[in-house]
Amino acid sequence: MKKALLVVLILCVLVSSLTMAKTLKIWIGGQVAELDQTWDDIISKYEKESGNEVEVQLFGFDVYYDKLLAALEAGFGPDLAFADLGGWVPTFAAKDWLVNLDSQIENWDGTDQIWPNLWPTVAYEGSLYGLPWYTDCRLLLYNKTMLKDAGFDNPPETWEEFCYVADKITDSSKRTYGYGVSGTKSEVTTLGYMMFLYAAGGELLTEDYSEPAFNTPEGLRALKFYTDLAKKWEVSPNALSYGEDDYRNMMAQGRVAMSVGGPWSFALIEQANPAIKGNYSVALHPYGAVPASVLGGWALVIPKSSENPEEAWGLAEYLTSYDTWMTWIEANGSPMPVRMDVCADAPTFDDEKWQVIFDTFPFAVCRPPIPVYPQVSEEIQMMVQNVLMDKMTPEEAIAVADTNVREILGK
Amino acid sequence: MKITREEKTAYKMILPYIILIMLMIVILLVSNVITSFVNEEGTFTFNNYINCFQDEIVGQAFVNTGFWVLGSVLGQVLLGFLAAILLNQIKKGQVIYRSIILILPWATLDIVAGVMWKWMYNDMYGVINDLLMKMHLINDYIPWLASENLAMISIIIANVWKGFCLTGMFFLAGLQSIPKQLYEAAEIDGASSWKRFWHVTIPQLKPVIMTTLMLTIIWTINYFPLIYTMTGGGPGYATETVVTYIYKLGFKFLESNKAAALSNILFVVIFVIASVFLSRISKEEAA
Repeated sequence: MKKALLVVLILCVLVSSLTMAKTLKIWIGGQVAELDQTWDDIISKYEKESGNEVEVQLFGFDVYYDKLLAALEAGFGPDLAFADLGGWVPTFAAKDWLVNLDSQIENWDGTDQIWPNLWPTVAYEGSLYGLPWYTDCRLLLYNKTMLKDAGFDNPPETWEEFCYVADKITDSSKRTYGYGVSGTKSEVTTLGYMMFLYAAGGELLTEDYSEPAFNTPEGLRALKFYTDLAKKWEVSPNALSYGEDDYRNMMAQGRVAMSVGGPWSFALIEQANPAIKGNYSVALHPYGAVPASVLGGWALVIPKSSENPEEAWGLAEYLTSYDTWMTWIEANGSPMPVRMDVCADAPTFDDEKWQVIFDTFPFAVCRPPIPVYPQVSEEIQMMVQNVLMDKMTPEEAIAVADTNVREILGK
Repeated sequence: MKITREEKTAYKMILPYIILIMLMIVILLVSNVITSFVNEEGTFTFNNYINCFQDEIVGQAFVNTGFWVLGSVLGQVLLGFLAAILLNQIKKGQVIYRSIILILPWATLDIVAGVMWKWMYNDMYGVINDLLMKMHLINDYIPWLASENLAMISIIIANVWKGFCLTGMFFLAGLQSIPKQLYEAAEIDGASSWKRFWHVTIPQLKPVIMTTLMLTIIWTINYFPLIYTMTGGGPGYATETVVTYIYKLGFKFLESNKAAALSNILFVVIFVIASVFLSRISKEEAA
């Protein structure tokens, strides 16, 4: 009798464990990690629909990369994780840390709705390893009041106008400046140079990312113009001290009239100075030859260590669905969805700032999605800094960077 | 040599702790050594070390570390010594003075201190520039952290501020252990205050000075947060020290094998410094 009871009990446990709901771990990093209420609502809806449990961990941007890297390296990652579109996905894929998502993405009904220029950011050696989730592109943020006070109703469109406007606004005795040139030893300097490089008609690397392509007349023109803004025309605060995040705040406080920013900046600008609401806007960044922008954003990836890759993909699909995105935008108004249908349908996006963003986005290029991108970026930063510090002429600096990047890519 | 029963008990008591620490340290060290001798695919190679020696930035990082350590340790030891001697004279309100002068900078979080100094050095709003302007010592705001020559000096000053308290503590403790009779005897012999300092204080403090020097040198070589928050190693490579470069190799460039090799090289350097000091200290103790 006792034995039979035991067998039944064991069977019960076995059966229940087979049908038991699975617990999915998702790691969320970057700016959206701050919106914990929205995540709660969206995730609890998923839990009800799927019967799975989800454990959400939110990380600030500063610590997220190190955390995720350590977890992936140790093989203890989450089931689903956010990865920055600035080269994380191919870097992790090259280390064999991510699940290949080719077939899932091919069979998914939302694939056609993703902005097409996002796919290269999640590709590695011809396969896809991530599903883009939100995106952005870099634009010119400008302080309407400062421009108006200097006699300009509209932001500059070309480099010539740009230089003229910036120069007219700059008054270094009052410490007010026309534009902010990013020149610190960080990623924003590379992004800053890239904005000018592509606007001059140049390219950072060749199409297959095998060789540097910036050591051209266009690349040199961009480097000269970018550093001249700080050195020759002196329309920027000390470029070596600041990056675009600093300039965004200075723009909000009326110290710098124009800086680089994007859809993620709006909330931060109004946080830095609530009075600026309505007195700033965005425009296509001034260009030398062709309109240009650099895109960024985040993708969802499934680490190989995940025990529930199928459920993780289900969650990724749910998060990227039309309905989830519409709910999200209604609640938060940003960031920019990767889905074109949501961009077209959500009423929030009727705002003029968003229309500029959608108009610019098709011009936006991504940073080279290759594992050695951090090293390449470091060389670009050094190139800009070498010119800013007067250690090299633009011609010398670009030649040195070209040699070094060639060596990095050739390894 | 015979071990007494009491000693045996003592050894038994500390054994679990020693085993735990040894395991933690030994496992990590061994895995680091292994990592440094293999390539991405896991096969044996010397390339990581060869790469380190061929990398120009490693050379510069070692030179920078040299300046960083020399400046920081000199400043910390001298300022700490001065603070200790002055604090030793104070008889009333010792606790308040000591806690303000010696505890405050040391207890400030590294990151907080870094951000604070970064703002003080700022070239648009910084208080240091503002004060120097008001004193008519400079004509225009100086970009302290953004110029190649000044950045290293600037972070050394910040580090001296952050670290002199600890050396000061050591020296203060040392000063208080010097028997008063020695000073009285010297005074009776007619020694001036300078002579008393030179012939009584300094020799009595020597063991403390040696230990403090050794510890601050090692700590400063390994100290990372202040540089990272203030300059991130820039501008250019002006403030890139070996530890900031190891971090960059490991976490930014994902070259963990090369990072492991470089940290082992640094380990050897620190080991040599420590053994030189320790052998001198033990020699003096024996003498």
